[in-house]
Amino acid sequence: MASSNGLICFTNCLLPLEDGSLVERDLWIDERRGVILDAQRTFFLQRERPDRVIDLGGNILSPGFMDIQINGAYGFDFSVYDGDDEAYRQGMQTVAEKIVETGVTSLVPTIITQERSLYPQILHLLRPFSLPHSATLLGWHAEGPFIQLAKRGAHAPQFLVPAHERFASFEAVYGAQNLADQEDWLMADGTAPDTVGVRIITAAPEIDGVMATVPEVVQRGVVFSIGHSIASTDIATQAAYHGARLITHLFNAMPQLHHRDPSIIGLLGASPHLSTPRPFYELIVDGIHSHPNSVRLAYTAYPEGCILITDAMKILDPHLKDGVHEWRDGKRFVKEGDKLYLEGTDTLAGSVVTLDKCVRNFSRFTGCSLGEAIKCATYNPARCLGIENRKGTLRAGADADLVVLSRQGDVLSTWVRGKEVWTRN
Amino acid sequence: MRLIIRDNAANVGEYIGDYIAKRINDFEPTPEKPFVLGLPTGSSPIPTYKHLIKLVKEGKLSFKNVVTFNMDEYVGLPRDHSESYHTFMFREFFSHIDIPPSQVNILDGNAKDLIGECNAYEARIKAHGGIELFLGGIGEDGHIAFNEPGSSLASRTRIKTLAYDTILANARFFNNDIAAVPRMALTVGVATVLDAREVVVVVTGQRKALALSKAIEEGVNHLWTLSALQMHPWALIVADEDATAELHVKTVKYFKSIERVQDEVEEMHAKLRAEGKSDQVGSME
Repeated sequence: MASSNGLICFTNCLLPLEDGSLVERDLWIDERRGVILDAQRTFFLQRERPDRVIDLGGNILSPGFMDIQINGAYGFDFSVYDGDDEAYRQGMQTVAEKIVETGVTSLVPTIITQERSLYPQILHLLRPFSLPHSATLLGWHAEGPFIQLAKRGAHAPQFLVPAHERFASFEAVYGAQNLADQEDWLMADGTAPDTVGVRIITAAPEIDGVMATVPEVVQRGVVFSIGHSIASTDIATQAAYHGARLITHLFNAMPQLHHRDPSIIGLLGASPHLSTPRPFYELIVDGIHSHPNSVRLAYTAYPEGCILITDAMKILDPHLKDGVHEWRDGKRFVKEGDKLYLEGTDTLAGSVVTLDKCVRNFSRFTGCSLGEAIKCATYNPARCLGIENRKGTLRAGADADLVVLSRQGDVLSTWVRGKEVWTRN
Repeated sequence: MRLIIRDNAANVGEYIGDYIAKRINDFEPTPEKPFVLGLPTGSSPIPTYKHLIKLVKEGKLSFKNVVTFNMDEYVGLPRDHSESYHTFMFREFFSHIDIPPSQVNILDGNAKDLIGECNAYEARIKAHGGIELFLGGIGEDGHIAFNEPGSSLASRTRIKTLAYDTILANARFFNNDIAAVPRMALTVGVATVLDAREVVVVVTGQRKALALSKAIEEGVNHLWTLSALQMHPWALIVADEDATAELHVKTVKYFKSIERVQDEVEEMHAKLRAEGKSDQVGSME
């Protein structure tokens, strides 16, 4: 099936562009280098055209989905480390290999608040990782421990800490070696195994010392995300001015929208005509963590900032049945469809929705086109992380991480760096 | 000269597409003896390209053994610019058919030595044994390729200054910014086109009606460079009804009658060719 000159042309397909439109256009990739090609340059300058042409039968050829908040999947929890590095690496590999069936080709493993001593080793293990046939783990997203007790959700309260020493507190917890001290990693090839893996830190800006760390975090090329917080609009706005670039699972683990102080959610309403920066915001579009109307409200307020995430727990597995499942620290989950509770409570414990389903839900909830929904799971998260030249896009030179979707948004096949790694039977 | 009239632009495209396909298939091109095709840009040939693409996708036509030469290219416009003729040809035609990129020739408007580029282009056409069929369109002022009014009818591939009319007409492709429209182009000459063994010209739309009348109902005139086609032994113009608005009724009727006779003659020649008695179907008037 390989192309004799290593080039592939996808034809008879719709391409989602960065403006959210879907256009009928061919896409050329180089399967050997694993990148998307500038077709015209290849034709006129390299004097080559693909030997292999794949007719996609009118389906959609999207950049692979990107999930920037995912706690685990297929039985592996990124937040659980029992001292066995090999077992942990095996877990990372399992997730990376299997997740492609949901159309996800890159993800940012997220760890929730840990017992302090575990951070340095877990974060060291979570450096960027990928195999030729797997999704790419882009680095890590640390949710906590600098978060608000009152909005802790499923985080263990005894591990929450303030940042009295400001950035030194962050270094003390996460390990200085795990926080890049320069922006080199932005330039480096993220797939190299030895690069530093810090991508996103979710913290509450009202916690002592946290606001002062924001500029330092941002300066290091790390996304500061506001979350698990009771910040007022004033505090949240101040954090945004300091460079906070993201809001963690909007509507969840934060005060609800009050007209006199719309809190963190209120950042979306900031006038685009003023200089107030508006951060990107994550939405869990499982129909449970946010009401469909809330999803639409956020999206219509600020479409360019919308990022779909799963926030999925380790039991994420499209093949898993409903029922009670083990979690950690002796706690158990109850899964009912896409709902996931801590056993014996009504506390939502993350989600079990897949990202491809979020994309379909999102289009249904907001009335936006599938192309616009796809953008929220590809281009927007890539832009948030500053990697939109390489991931989440169909630009020439980007990794040929692709997902073929039906016109209804169902995943038909997934490609990673120019190779087909999963296909629906 | 023949003039074929079809109801609308789409039908014109279909007619020419089928015509070119037949010519290529009858030619039975091989890698050693490719079919050499001259190609235009602009809105007029788009329906023709669409139809040719359809024929290729249906497996009824292949460009594997076709060599193409384009008529013109702007000077100084980056090759990747959305309005360059490289971009146009790739977007509208080459990306959709099976032509090997090495068989595509387009003038390089960014060459350091523009005159050298033009001379080399003529030489390359010659090295291929000349152009078998040159497809063209015309401007509202009757220009063929960028041979603006006043161009020598004996001209060869060269640098050409665009007429103000053309610059105005093209401004719509450059955000209506006249300053952004290139002032110069490289273009094949009128004589280069006339050297082709056969010339086929698309003329569609009411705005081209006057040019068509000037080109075929009046004398050969360098102010309407398409009129040079009158000197060509094997020329075909395909127009839609709109483009005939300025023609005399007599002219239209005459050419319509030619079409009927032509069909009969071609059928007869096809039979003769099958029997090995004739190898050339020329035009008849």
